[in-house]
Amino acid sequence: MIEARHITKKFKRVLAVDDLGFDLKIGGSLALWGSNGAGKTTLIRCLLGVFPCKGTVRINGIDVRRKGKQARAQIGYVPQELAFHDDAKLGSAMRFFANLRGVELAQAARSLHVVGLNGHESKRVRDLSGGMKQRLALAIALIADPPIIVLDEPTSNLDSSGRGEVVDTLLRLREQGKTLIFASHRPDEVITLADRVLVMEQGRLVQQTTPEALWPSRSSVRSVRLFIEQGDEHQAAEILREGGFAVNHGNSGLTVAIEQHRKAEPMNHLAARGITVRDFELLRDVHDDDEPEIRVRKEQISEVLR
Amino acid sequence: MRTLTIAITLAFSIAVPHALGAPASEIQRLIDEATPGSVVEPTPGVYEGAIRITKPVILDGNGAVTIDAGGEGSVIEVTAPDVTIRGFILVGSGKSVSNESAGIKANNGPVIIEDNRITDVYFGIDLKQSPGSIIRNNTIVGKDLELGRRGDGIRLWWSHECVIEQNTVRDSRDMVFWYSEGLRISNNTVIDSRYGLHFMYSHNTTVRENHLTGNSVGIYLMYSNSIRLVQNQIDNNRGTSGYGIGLKDCDDIDVESNLLAANRVGIYIDNSPSSADSTGLIRSNKIAFNDVGMLATPNTHDNTIYNNGFIENEEQVSVHGGGQLFLNDFANNEKGNFWSDYNGFDRDQDGLGEFAYEPRSLFRTMLAREPNLRLFVHSPAQQAIELTARAFPELDPDPMLSDPKPLALPPRFDLPSLEAGAGGFHMALVAFGLVLFSALVMLRLTLERNNTPVTGNKRND
Amino acid sequence: MSTMNLNGVSRPENQSKNRVTHLSFVRSIMLIARREFRDALSSKWFLLYTIAFTTLAIGVSFLSLAGSGEHGFAGFGKTAAGLLNLIMLVVPLMALTAGAGTIAGERERGTLLYLLAQPLSRTELLLGKYVGLAIALICSLCIGFGLSAGLLAWRAGGVGAGSFLMLVVFASVLALSMLSLGVLISVQSRRAGVATGISLFVWLGLVFLSDLGLMAGTVLFKLRVQEVFALAIINPLQAFKMNVIINLNASLDVLGPVGMYASQEFGESLPWLLTGVIVLWCLLPLAVAIMIFRKRGGI
Repeated sequence: MIEARHITKKFKRVLAVDDLGFDLKIGGSLALWGSNGAGKTTLIRCLLGVFPCKGTVRINGIDVRRKGKQARAQIGYVPQELAFHDDAKLGSAMRFFANLRGVELAQAARSLHVVGLNGHESKRVRDLSGGMKQRLALAIALIADPPIIVLDEPTSNLDSSGRGEVVDTLLRLREQGKTLIFASHRPDEVITLADRVLVMEQGRLVQQTTPEALWPSRSSVRSVRLFIEQGDEHQAAEILREGGFAVNHGNSGLTVAIEQHRKAEPMNHLAARGITVRDFELLRDVHDDDEPEIRVRKEQISEVLR
Repeated sequence: MRTLTIAITLAFSIAVPHALGAPASEIQRLIDEATPGSVVEPTPGVYEGAIRITKPVILDGNGAVTIDAGGEGSVIEVTAPDVTIRGFILVGSGKSVSNESAGIKANNGPVIIEDNRITDVYFGIDLKQSPGSIIRNNTIVGKDLELGRRGDGIRLWWSHECVIEQNTVRDSRDMVFWYSEGLRISNNTVIDSRYGLHFMYSHNTTVRENHLTGNSVGIYLMYSNSIRLVQNQIDNNRGTSGYGIGLKDCDDIDVESNLLAANRVGIYIDNSPSSADSTGLIRSNKIAFNDVGMLATPNTHDNTIYNNGFIENEEQVSVHGGGQLFLNDFANNEKGNFWSDYNGFDRDQDGLGEFAYEPRSLFRTMLAREPNLRLFVHSPAQQAIELTARAFPELDPDPMLSDPKPLALPPRFDLPSLEAGAGGFHMALVAFGLVLFSALVMLRLTLERNNTPVTGNKRND
Repeated sequence: MSTMNLNGVSRPENQSKNRVTHLSFVRSIMLIARREFRDALSSKWFLLYTIAFTTLAIGVSFLSLAGSGEHGFAGFGKTAAGLLNLIMLVVPLMALTAGAGTIAGERERGTLLYLLAQPLSRTELLLGKYVGLAIALICSLCIGFGLSAGLLAWRAGGVGAGSFLMLVVFASVLALSMLSLGVLISVQSRRAGVATGISLFVWLGLVFLSDLGLMAGTVLFKLRVQEVFALAIINPLQAFKMNVIINLNASLDVLGPVGMYASQEFGESLPWLLTGVIVLWCLLPLAVAIMIFRKRGGI
């Protein structure tokens, strides 16, 4: 059971997380959905007790702020990108974390086997590919077999096959009863892994819902990015949400989840309220997306130019 | 328990004949019965008690007679002239300050005291009004007391024309000469005592080839004139004052060809010479590795200091309380001194540097003005000040002395060399220990302990 | 790429929370210390400092022995004074920069966050790093001192073995205090470069500026001996120096009126007073560092 109440984290003058709270039962899986800068990463760090922040977080009844060490013992953490001593060899890194978690080395070996990194023990961390690093991070998180796994955009630096494997592993873990909290901006991951979604925007919890509610028809979900006059963005997001759309308000416009054959709907909805959409781009279907998003935008631009 | 007691008693009764021996009165009886001028040779062995010699006899222990006063009074007291005491082992005088007990006490010399071994005594040999005496080849070891409570190893009081040679004194207070003139003091060794040789109002003496090491002060002359100190080896005297040689109010002193090394202060000159028409000579000495090579009070004048080697003293010359030494000559007509920190050169190959040695130290000058600053010696800040002074010559202070003819090479010293210092072995142990320690720590902490299951200290939550 | 295989991951039924463990305070510290020590050993700074210190210590010993060979003993004061100066210059530099790099470096590389996300408290992490670096520094000093002691032994050294050993001990404690200060700088800094810069400045201050300032004060305000003494021992380097001199000479009279005052006023307890000052310099900055590291919570 994870209970978060009134979590507030301020960096100098910026409110990174603003009075956010939620509950998550054992075995549950929670996605943090939001664009970059929405506060997902900060929230995760608050949950881990890495940042001191206002409010309370209880992990299985343990107050993270007062007994951070005990609380973190319950959690395996996978960062966006593994940052560990580059000089260290994979084997000695595993040994270190096994020691740190107070488990036998055999368990480290088993954990490496789980992520398919067995046999690479003598490689140095710096020589690992992005995908291998991420799998190492997962292996480390799994060493002590903790009941809760917290992941901060675990697939953002991976290609599609790497992503698929990580998602696969997480899915299995979920089936085994692990509690998952993960940040993501990929609808497919959220749909596959989460049973609840916290939609975050500028540090606030704007919506607590289910993936099904956000993307009613998961097979045909697409995202469209709308570019609106700067001043109107906020209002546009409100209007769209009132209209039942899943909206993500980030630095580069609004991203709206839509169904396959209704791409124009959000624009029409806005136009009806008197808000002009300057430009839009269609983000490809995430399921078979093995290209970086940059490519998508280039295509879009060439289309517009033509 | 009883068996043990018996065993101890037995052990004692077996060892006793040698350890406790005969009463000293046996020797006393021999002396009393001897005719004046005859030789008395007691049977070898250990005697208990003290002896009093009241007639001129030659007492010869042949190195095999021990007299133990048992910690009461003096071991041998001599009240007659022309007594010889030779080849005895004398132990256990009293130690009360008021009695001034001694190994041998004489007050009506001359006496000859030679080849004795005198240990565990308050004073060693104490001569009063015994001119013409000879003290030769004795070994004297004082009581294990703190420095101030010990007695003197050898003391002369109003005893002129004595010869003191080849004696070894350790763990005593001073070898001291009061009001005694025309002495010959040579080849003595004084170790681990207070003042190696101490002169009080004692004039016209030559002190030659003595070895003074590990004392508080090597040789201290006070109010004593016309003394020659020649070829003495004076090292590691590092007591509170720690002078190799100290000269206080002494006229016409000649300090020649001595080795002064690793003392706190090589030579200390306090108001010497003090009379108007007298001089001081300090020449051909090797003054090396002392904290301060030469320390002088500011009023010091009329000394001629030449042909010495001032080698690697931490501070070559210092003026006590600040000031300059321009009233002294740091060269005679031909040559000055060798200074290991001289940075001139000898272009014309005449053995002399081309410009004067004039040590300037901004920090030393500051010290002279504000003695409290001495707290900051041995610190990088001191170096910083000296560097600054070198970089900005206008800050350079006046020199405290000037040697117009500095020697390009150290003079050849006709000195015996010291044996290698002890402690090399311990130092090697330290070296080995330190390296081994770090090696072990490194190994212990870096070796991967494979298959170490981390056990214990598991906590349940 | 091989497929992931979940056979090793335990079944949900035996996954109960009481199997989750964490290390005790001391074991956590030792684990981190070990890692830190190993990292230090394989790092360039450790190698550089060890080589530099060893070379300098041997050089100083050699120079102080030079010319003494013909009479078989070294200048007592010269070796000690040379080593003293070297220690006061180099050891604070080593320890301050080593300490300054530790947290700031992890922060800069982003590895700090990952460690903090483990079952490990901030206090444990900081203390562990401190202990690891401390051991590394002491090893480095021991190598330098050990090899120069070897030289002194070979040339029949002028400094007694006991005094020399005490010099090593005092230098190590000095290193600990400077390391503590370095760690305090580190927890305040985001970048290793900045931390190193600040530590260099602190080094300059402790080694030169504070002494020069106090000298100026002594001259300008005609400070009394007790005032000069009190102000001087605040600087751990001066306290260290006095301790070494007491150990060598049994009294501080080589340090002039102020030294004599200190010897007379405090007598036997003077070494303890000075050691107390240095130990305080070990504990206080470290305690403040822990407090800041916990409170501010920067990563």
